[in-house]
Amino acid sequence: MRRFEGTQLVLRLAGDSPIVSNLGPSSDELWHAGHRDRNFYTYGNMGLCSSIALGMAMATDEQIISLDGDGSLLMNMGTIASIGREKPKNLTVVVWDNEQWGQTGGQTSHTGTGTDLEQVAQSCGITNTKTVSDLEDLEAAVSEALASPDGPNFIVAKIEEAGYMSVAPVEPEFTLYRFRNTFVEPRQPGD
Amino acid sequence: MNWAEQIVKTLKDWDTSMIVYVPDISIDQVTSLIEADPYFRLVPATREEEAIGIAVGSYATGRNAAVFMQSSGFGNSVNALASLCIPSRTPIPMFINLRGGPGEFNIAQVAMGRAVIPIMDQLGLPHFVLEDDGKMDKLLDGAMKLCHANRQPLAICLTQMLHGGKIA
Repeated sequence: MRRFEGTQLVLRLAGDSPIVSNLGPSSDELWHAGHRDRNFYTYGNMGLCSSIALGMAMATDEQIISLDGDGSLLMNMGTIASIGREKPKNLTVVVWDNEQWGQTGGQTSHTGTGTDLEQVAQSCGITNTKTVSDLEDLEAAVSEALASPDGPNFIVAKIEEAGYMSVAPVEPEFTLYRFRNTFVEPRQPGD
Repeated sequence: MNWAEQIVKTLKDWDTSMIVYVPDISIDQVTSLIEADPYFRLVPATREEEAIGIAVGSYATGRNAAVFMQSSGFGNSVNALASLCIPSRTPIPMFINLRGGPGEFNIAQVAMGRAVIPIMDQLGLPHFVLEDDGKMDKLLDGAMKLCHANRQPLAICLTQMLHGGKIA
């Protein structure tokens, strides 16, 4: 399974739900798959994708989806514990796990040498977890997660690294501005 | 109203109900009030960098957030400020127990405590150091106004001179 195919699938299933994506190809591919105001792309702060999603999930009733990476989550594994502690019902984390740091030369990451992020999630008190490695299983897992009233959901999606698409526009201020305006009505003249 | 109550009031005046923190014994004087108050959601993070991420997520959906941490934890959150908050422009007030000042007993707290202000300056972010509670209401209100006008994080540093708390 390739991350881009998986991203297209998640985007299709997400409907209007906000999606937070990890920096690098996860955000680039989300942009290419279907740019929308409710895509919260990240460009730095590696490690914080699912923490940002957790904050969103606690602040709103809407379904929130995190498209994180193994290297990113390994940097901030504590956030898996925080998700397990706060147990937001409306949060689904999908980890694109290619078992490497792709963009820095393909060095094997810790998930390639035995770390099982699904087990980490289970150990942190997250009970709805799955590991999938093809599109059919990913579709089933994500559909079930989004339909269930009882998250959080934690899906490890094993992917094969592929070539990179062109870098999406890097515009963090606009990303936040557009995203937040889907929640907060901007003031109008005369207000 | 004491300094801790003043902070709580200011957060309410500025519609800031999502509070993310890593515990600190002196800041506990505020966070324990917040925990007891149903207006707020108090979220413990495993690390201060994570706290910044959670706060940004909350702000992104329209719910204002603030973070509480010790100055050592500020050291753990610098890249979150630099690579997330600053480029995106997120008005996150940071209440920081500032170690490394008069009365400090722990050498491990000195370098980072003393580096908070210079780092904030390097990042171009505003900061205030509170040593007593005189004019605190005006100062806190003004800090929040600046934070939202500037749409960047700012640091409100609480010293041992202010809180008199046990340094730990």
